Amino acid sequence: MTKKNNMKVIPFWGCMMPLKYPQMELAIRKTLPNLGIELVDIEGFTCCPDPIYFKARDKVKWLTIAARNLAVAEEAGHDIITMCSGCISTLKEAQHTLAEDPDLKAEVNRRLKRINKEYRGEVSVKHAVVMIRDDLGLDRVRESIKRPLEGVTVAIHYGCHILKPSQIMHVDDADYPAILDDLVSALGATPLEHHEKLLCCGKGCMDDELPLDMTGAIFESIEKSGADCMGLICPTCFSSFDMGQILLSRKKGKTYNIPVIYIFQLLGLAQGMGPEEVGLHTHRIKADKVLEKIKGSVKVT
Amino acid sequence: MPKDKLTVNFRFRERLNKMPGGKHHNYCYQCSACVAVCPAARFNENFNPRQILLKALLGAEDALIGENSPIWLCTNCYSCYERCPQDVRPIEVIIALKNMAVEKGTAPTNLAKLSENIAETGMSVTFSSAVKRRREELGLPELKPVPLEELQEIIKDDKKE
Ligand code: SF4
Ligand code: SF4
Repeated sequence: MTKKNNMKVIPFWGCMMPLKYPQMELAIRKTLPNLGIELVDIEGFTCCPDPIYFKARDKVKWLTIAARNLAVAEEAGHDIITMCSGCISTLKEAQHTLAEDPDLKAEVNRRLKRINKEYRGEVSVKHAVVMIRDDLGLDRVRESIKRPLEGVTVAIHYGCHILKPSQIMHVDDADYPAILDDLVSALGATPLEHHEKLLCCGKGCMDDELPLDMTGAIFESIEKSGADCMGLICPTCFSSFDMGQILLSRKKGKTYNIPVIYIFQLLGLAQGMGPEEVGLHTHRIKADKVLEKIKGSVKVT
Repeated sequence: MPKDKLTVNFRFRERLNKMPGGKHHNYCYQCSACVAVCPAARFNENFNPRQILLKALLGAEDALIGENSPIWLCTNCYSCYERCPQDVRPIEVIIALKNMAVEKGTAPTNLAKLSENIAETGMSVTFSSAVKRRREELGLPELKPVPLEELQEIIKDDKKE
């Protein structure tokens, strides 16, 4: 596939990043321009809306709000990228469902007509990591690196919504995904396999116990692997694992102390940014172990 | 003839068929492939997606959308959707059931709390003053205004005739 030099895209920020974990937005805003991606912020988006609770409440209204967001991007004339697994899940599934079911599409458009909007189904929506892999190529990532993350071992947590259902998401093999492993390797770090790499974080379950058991199982598995940190892509998973470790030690008496780092924060570190520049100081579990390892690292050319 | 008669509530199944994603429950052949990959089933023995589908095929309304239904234990992981050989999309059937429970008024009370923000502010997360300060400290741009009125307009229920 021919790779593109520069791209203009509309970032769809959603809620979790700008309103809860702005350090993730910061990492995106700082790292993507170094890859030749220009972010064109536009006005008019709402929550995607969230694929768990709002969808459970009323799927037709959930589709309608998603279609409105897509229609806003259609009018603006650029493709959308999302950085949140929840947003990509909602927007992709809405596109798929509305293409599959003309009656639902008619109902959604009947509602959108009240505000003079129409969902046509013409805009392309991608997750940022997919755009990097497919449209730019990982060589572009390698070229942007000033401080390879040599010696840093990363337990990658894919999370569910970026991968499944694969026939809608079109990201990777849901059982043997490689997209994040390849990205982390391009940064010079080493992804480590562990048993619970693909287990769900449990956040979408409306129960108090079950999510703790699930995150507990994941941390047991990561601890055995000996990884320096967890690398992930989803802000909701992040809350399960960063704050989640505090909850686990409070409620289950088990302390892990495994730093949880958003993939684009790892990219920022590899591009030579300091920990505060990518907002690592805002995390509950500090990443000192990782920072110590990359202290003297410089790119050999 | 077996001693216990099996009754199927087709009226409930008809209603389920009309919900988006509900119709696919008809395709389930009870193979349990979904159970093998279901994390909620792995960590909680009260949850089993094949059994939920069986109850759907029987039209067991109370068990599915009554108080304390197991459907709320689903973690929304989509593994069953990925794996099911019959394209049942169990999670979407569960979501259709959740929508029905909401209509019936039997959904857990915290669901309303977790979802009402969107209709009231346009966003699912409340913008706390702490995060506002943090955005400034990190040098992030101001947030764009949220078109709340447009959102409320499109999710408004039609007036009853
Ligand atoms: S939902 Fe699909 S995977 Fe599960 S029992 Fe039915 S046919 Fe099998
Ligand atoms: S989506 Fe729900 S039912 Fe399906 S595998 Fe995940 S937890 Fe189980």
